[in-house]
Amino acid sequence: MATTTAPTPTSSRGDRWAGPGMLLPFALFYLVFLVGPLIYTVVAGFFETSLLKSGLGDFAGLSNYTAVLGDAEFWRTLRNTLWFTVLTTVPLVLLSLALALLADRFVRGRWFFRFAFFAPFVLPSAVVSLLFMFIYADQLGLAQEAVKWFGVDTPPSWLGDPDWAMISIAAATVWWTIGFNFVLYLAGLQDVPREVHEAAAIDGAGPWQRIRHVVVPMLGRTTTLVTVLQVIASLKVFDQIYMMTAGGPDGSTRSSLQLIYDTGFVEGRVGYASTVSLLLFVVILLVSLVWFALVRRAEKES
Amino acid sequence: MRDRIPTPSPPAPSRRRVLRGGIALGAAGAAALTASGCGSTLAQGFTGGAPSPSRLNFWNPFTGGDGERMLAMQDAYRAAHRSTELKSATFLWGNPYYTKLTLSTLGDRPPQVAVVHLSKLPTLAEAGLLTELRTDDLARHGLTEDKFDARPWRKSQFGGAPHAVPLDTHPFVLFFRTDIAEKAGLLDGQGQLVDVDGPDAFIDALRAAKEVTGAWGGSIASVKEASMQFRLFWSLYRQVGGGDLVADQGKRVVVDTAAAAEALAYIRRLSQEKVIPANTDGKGAITLLTTGKAGFLMDGVWQALAVRSAKVKFDMRPLPRIFKDAPYACAADSHALVLPKAPDEKAQRLDLSLGFIASMLHSSKLWAEGGHVPAWLPTQRSRAYKELVPQSHYATAADGAVYDPAAWYGGAGSTMQNVVGDAVTSVFTGETSPTAGAARLRRDLRTLASRPAPV
Amino acid sequence: MTAIATRPETGQRGTSAPPARPRDSERLFNRVALGTLIALALLWLVPLAWALATSIRPAQEVVTNPTGWFTAHPTLDAYGEIFDAGKLPYWYANSFITSILTTVLTVVMASLAAFALSQTRFRMRRAAFVMLLAGIMIPGQVLMIPQFLALQSAGLLNTYWGVVLPQVPNVVAVFVFKQFFDGIPRELIDAARADGAGWLRTYWQIVMPISRPAVSAVTIFVFVGVWNNFLWPLLVVTDPEMMTLPVGLTSVQDVFGVPYAQLMASAVLGAIPLLAVFALFQRRIVEGIAGTGLK
Repeated sequence: MATTTAPTPTSSRGDRWAGPGMLLPFALFYLVFLVGPLIYTVVAGFFETSLLKSGLGDFAGLSNYTAVLGDAEFWRTLRNTLWFTVLTTVPLVLLSLALALLADRFVRGRWFFRFAFFAPFVLPSAVVSLLFMFIYADQLGLAQEAVKWFGVDTPPSWLGDPDWAMISIAAATVWWTIGFNFVLYLAGLQDVPREVHEAAAIDGAGPWQRIRHVVVPMLGRTTTLVTVLQVIASLKVFDQIYMMTAGGPDGSTRSSLQLIYDTGFVEGRVGYASTVSLLLFVVILLVSLVWFALVRRAEKES
Repeated sequence: MRDRIPTPSPPAPSRRRVLRGGIALGAAGAAALTASGCGSTLAQGFTGGAPSPSRLNFWNPFTGGDGERMLAMQDAYRAAHRSTELKSATFLWGNPYYTKLTLSTLGDRPPQVAVVHLSKLPTLAEAGLLTELRTDDLARHGLTEDKFDARPWRKSQFGGAPHAVPLDTHPFVLFFRTDIAEKAGLLDGQGQLVDVDGPDAFIDALRAAKEVTGAWGGSIASVKEASMQFRLFWSLYRQVGGGDLVADQGKRVVVDTAAAAEALAYIRRLSQEKVIPANTDGKGAITLLTTGKAGFLMDGVWQALAVRSAKVKFDMRPLPRIFKDAPYACAADSHALVLPKAPDEKAQRLDLSLGFIASMLHSSKLWAEGGHVPAWLPTQRSRAYKELVPQSHYATAADGAVYDPAAWYGGAGSTMQNVVGDAVTSVFTGETSPTAGAARLRRDLRTLASRPAPV
Repeated sequence: MTAIATRPETGQRGTSAPPARPRDSERLFNRVALGTLIALALLWLVPLAWALATSIRPAQEVVTNPTGWFTAHPTLDAYGEIFDAGKLPYWYANSFITSILTTVLTVVMASLAAFALSQTRFRMRRAAFVMLLAGIMIPGQVLMIPQFLALQSAGLLNTYWGVVLPQVPNVVAVFVFKQFFDGIPRELIDAARADGAGWLRTYWQIVMPISRPAVSAVTIFVFVGVWNNFLWPLLVVTDPEMMTLPVGLTSVQDVFGVPYAQLMASAVLGAIPLLAVFALFQRRIVEGIAGTGLK
């Protein structure tokens, strides 16, 4: 990059290469670790690539695609992932909105709420999983104890019952990540001008009506952002499920990303796993594109 | 799931100082580690170099009682080999362990010695992850065929050559509380358990125990323990005469659905007649026995220490012979020691590794106290072992031991155990009928078999 | 990786506190709101508090009464045992080293790239920008298999580089920098150039010193992200002494069954470094996130 230190700012030769030269280091990493792997994923999907043998392996044509699309397990993990997305996105958006609306009314003590709701967000998934595996433990966990106070005699095995496991993991995830949305909403609320409140109050609107008819509609854009970020994050769920249930019981919590991990690294079927990867990539890409379209529209409106 | 980046805000120089302080602290910590001898490890992190030649890394999947025994065996080795730096690591049993082992070998950083289940051996060996052992190398350390139990020794061979040194056989057995059995009238004059073989005799015995405990007759792990459910099914299915589940290394499904349905129907009977609870995890199943809420427990021999530590009166015997259609069978596996394929001979440390393996076998008595039937004949035939109680009461189970079906997706803690075990659980809990369960099991196995083998 | 439109400045804004003279209904509403909020905040603190409470109880007490909160005999035994038995010091060191390495590399490369995209003019600049923009939509985790294979063939598994390098191309970091650089007055750059400073010098001596907010925002978030990353180090690191804290905590087992006091002590130890970072940088982090968004 010696060429970039050309002394004159005018369009000398060095100048022409300055930009590309400074872009180069990042671009190399970008190509090697993102673009290259993406191309490899596309290619490997057409081969019987194995983790345990070198090279791409036998050409498979579209057989991986037909196998994946005809594999009940692929669809089940996708359903599980969507179920997790619903279970997390709905409370994470609504509850964080409610919490932010409430917290916004109090200037004093806000740091406390911010700490309580946001601190879990900085924890590693491993710590969150350790914590909740203990809370959800059979017979001796806090969660079973807690529902007993409410008169339930035989609480379910939170992580051992196929009907409850995903809900339990989603609840832990809500605890863990709500702070991010909470803070986004708090910021969105800062942009609601005081006068709006005052005008509505003079009109005789109670606090509840003001929130419902004035404040919430003004948070529309924040809600879009929060929702889409949440959906994308939830579609990529892996860590806490892998650690808490490893996809069980009876496969009821296995996510799409775990299917990739399992087929690719546990079973060593790289070709098949690449196909699943590409399909999951397409799903996430579509969600991202929807988001971009929404952003575009929002920008045009404003 | 949270790789989100926010925008910057106005500068706060003091924070920078704090951050710098944090980094300095981290550096100081690293320096302290270097001083304390971990430095070479950190340096390897940058260079990828191999650990020092006196170092022996050993991996195993043993926790609980097994883990404690294994630590004692390692201490015995350390005491005799002070110049070797033995480092052991324990990982979560099943797929996570084997995935780690595979990835470490692919990454040229395997441990020198590792424990594997012999049910996994064919897959690991075929994938080229194990070092083939030469008989003269083994003989140099006193490890010759005549000193090993024939069954696990045979199972340690792959392609006509040994690829592992067997340590034990560990069958799926029946634990029972002698005090409860006595009250239930299930002990004979000599204090031995009466005959509980046969479908009705076993359930009658469980029911008698239930009347004494007032809660349950027996227990077995059914929640979060697909492998245990697999073992129960696999034992009964073999007793019915179902034969194999898959053939051609897992490429073909040969499950006998009628036999599977019969075995499943019996498993369902256990929960339906309320002699065994259908919602207990591994720890819970043992706790039911040790707290006297169940008189029987179906579990692996390796739980002997866990039960013993509760200081209750108990005994063990082979799993009852429920069906008489075929020779006696009970699910079993063997632990064995292998040398994962190292990138070069220097990293393999063949003699150091084999010396360690020999030392482990010489500690077979310690291992046997944990419940396993030793593969090392000098121990198995010794008087000391034969006097071990209750170990000697179930030694015959090893004769009926059947290993998991051979398939690349099979073996200890494998996908096959999970898939079959999940189907069994759903029958056990009553969610699925035995016939539907057998059909599901066959369907799931077919899906697995249809996949191209990665090895 | 998620795309976030960002703004470089988050100025002070008025809070939307309720009007000056609240009426009765208002006061009631506020009281209910405050009560609800405090109850929920306390509920939110329960898991952490319970972990802390459990970790200082004697092991035997946890076994006999697992859901008890308070102990008459608080002890740090569990912490001592983890440090003695485990490889925790290694894991801390590895997490520090990989997080710092990744952060430094990301800050340098992303800011250089952003500077090139923001301030210099060259052919294909627009195309390069669009290509990077597209990269924001590539979820890194989906590429774990080829990334693993690439590092395997390069012989970098079980090294710090294996953990660090694939985490460096963080497109979002480039965008944060670019947003910030776009806001720098053009005259400042032009003046430096007129004084004969080369592009690299302009970047290093003029632009970077005034870009501390961007640098610290990227630093904090890359650091936290790498420290917390689980899936990637789980794949590339198999040597127990090379593991990062989250991977080590959850994959290396304790031989002695499930000692809950110890488990919770390790959870606390795993949480402390980042809770400390959070406590120190709370405002910065929160404002950083708050400034995020499509406004």
